[in-house]
Amino acid sequence: MEIYLPIAEMSVNVWLMAGLGVVVGFLSGLFGVGGGFLMAPVLVALGIPPSIAVASQAGHVLATSTSSVVSYGREASVDYRMGGVMAVGGIAGAVAGVEVFRLLRLLGQADLMVAILYLLLLGTIGGMMLNESLRALLRARDGLPAERPKVKRPGWLYALPYKMRFPVSGLYISVIPPIAIGFVVGLLAALMGVGGGFLIVPAMIYLLRMKASAVVGTSLFQIVITTLVTMILQAVRNHTVDAVLAFILLIGGVIGGQLGIRAATRFRAEQMRVVLAIIILMAGLQMGFTLFVPPEDPFILAPTNG
Amino acid sequence: MVAASLPPEVTAPATPVPYIETQPAAGVSADLLSTDLTQNRIEVSSSFQGAKVILYGAVFQPEDQPSDVVVIIRGPQASMRLIRKVKAGAVWLNSRPVVFEGAPGYYMAASSQPLDRITDFSHRRLLGLGLDYIAMDTSRENKVVTRYGVKDVVVNGIEDDYLDWRRAVIRLKSKAGLYNDNPLGVRFVDKNLFRAEVTLPSEAPIGDYTAEVWLFRDGQPVGYSEKKLTVEKVGFERFVYTVAHRHAWLYGLACVFMSMGMGALASRLFRRG
Repeated sequence: MEIYLPIAEMSVNVWLMAGLGVVVGFLSGLFGVGGGFLMAPVLVALGIPPSIAVASQAGHVLATSTSSVVSYGREASVDYRMGGVMAVGGIAGAVAGVEVFRLLRLLGQADLMVAILYLLLLGTIGGMMLNESLRALLRARDGLPAERPKVKRPGWLYALPYKMRFPVSGLYISVIPPIAIGFVVGLLAALMGVGGGFLIVPAMIYLLRMKASAVVGTSLFQIVITTLVTMILQAVRNHTVDAVLAFILLIGGVIGGQLGIRAATRFRAEQMRVVLAIIILMAGLQMGFTLFVPPEDPFILAPTNG
Repeated sequence: MVAASLPPEVTAPATPVPYIETQPAAGVSADLLSTDLTQNRIEVSSSFQGAKVILYGAVFQPEDQPSDVVVIIRGPQASMRLIRKVKAGAVWLNSRPVVFEGAPGYYMAASSQPLDRITDFSHRRLLGLGLDYIAMDTSRENKVVTRYGVKDVVVNGIEDDYLDWRRAVIRLKSKAGLYNDNPLGVRFVDKNLFRAEVTLPSEAPIGDYTAEVWLFRDGQPVGYSEKKLTVEKVGFERFVYTVAHRHAWLYGLACVFMSMGMGALASRLFRRG
């Protein structure tokens, strides 16, 4: 069944798009990530203009994240205060990111920048995760106790002013680092069209040293706020949100997401981390690969709207 | 000002030309041709997957003279930005985009036989018949220089590569099914009755199209007829598009509420189930 998208001005197969939503949603639910980094490249490969793909899949990220926050919220594992503080930086970052994206598109460099960011960020994070999770897996196989992460809080991070108490995260820390992290993630999220979970989670664990139980719920809460702002900004500034496409993707996404959350209980955390690391690494390398492959046609038409 | 953008080999088929508004010239009659489209309004609804329109017409020939028919369909104009991939070391980077203006968003040239057998180069160029003669301009690349001692000469900043860029636009648009030369697209079903099929892909731009029909006799245009074709969004598609552009804030908020609402609903349903 084909359906015409009013903003993208082309027709797509509904089942293909809903299926993509289910698959990406399933992986998001399984691994606790937004899944934007997987969906954007697939949408572009299917012929959706990149700017519309990035803006419309925000609906999918928003729906799956909201769905998860509601679930985590029941278990009181969301630090709304920390999420709110990070979102202040996140909103500023998203505003800047939407403007930078607009400028890059006018200069014809948007797709190139996205490819470079994917290669650098996903490549690095995927590589680090793979290394760390494989080591953990090997130790578990050899019957050794899990490696204790070297808990060394960066001292200067705690010497900063404007301290605030975050009881759920078990922190008493300056608000500057969370705002800064939020800003960087919001900026990159708007540029790459992703929620940014794969950046926030490591930052919360390794930089802020938040209580592990609060990390996933809080990062999802912050993603909801940042994505919400990004989506409205894209709609207002760039007119690139296709509500029909967003709806099809998110219907598939929420169903897949819930199935993923159920499936997640069947696997061990270390094994899942290895698989997630491989997926992240592959997505980064695949996008980066386009930088090195001679193009089929040396010319490409760039979008004009905006 | 002297337009120096024409290369010396003026007879080359792909020579860029400024678009000249096609007006029936002297000696061209509107009475020799009668044409119509099977549809003059194409409604783009959610089930739209492209459309096929038939242009049919009759030639009134007082005496039995062989004649040729050329049908040109032009879609709404839109500026285009084209990027070239350039190799820097091991990596492929993007060039600065070149903006083409005045090119139609859709173009089809159908004729009863190949255009170069119907009429000569100057007519094809003047009337914009065929992909090689589509008018498109890169005015933003133009600069004024002094050349051969002549002041204020307008040249194109990408002059040497201009034809490469131009051909690339046509190649990319053709690939998307938006530009199309069909030298046998006009078929005479009877001695004086002809028809041509117009195929619009689902990516065809929204807006006003014109169907120009030319009657040629001995290489000279003798008859002309023009019909309008409108492609417009209707119903839900139109509603969404209008809201997205006129009430962007409201539209953005509605999208956010839809997304979050569906997410919250799903986690609720699945929890109970």
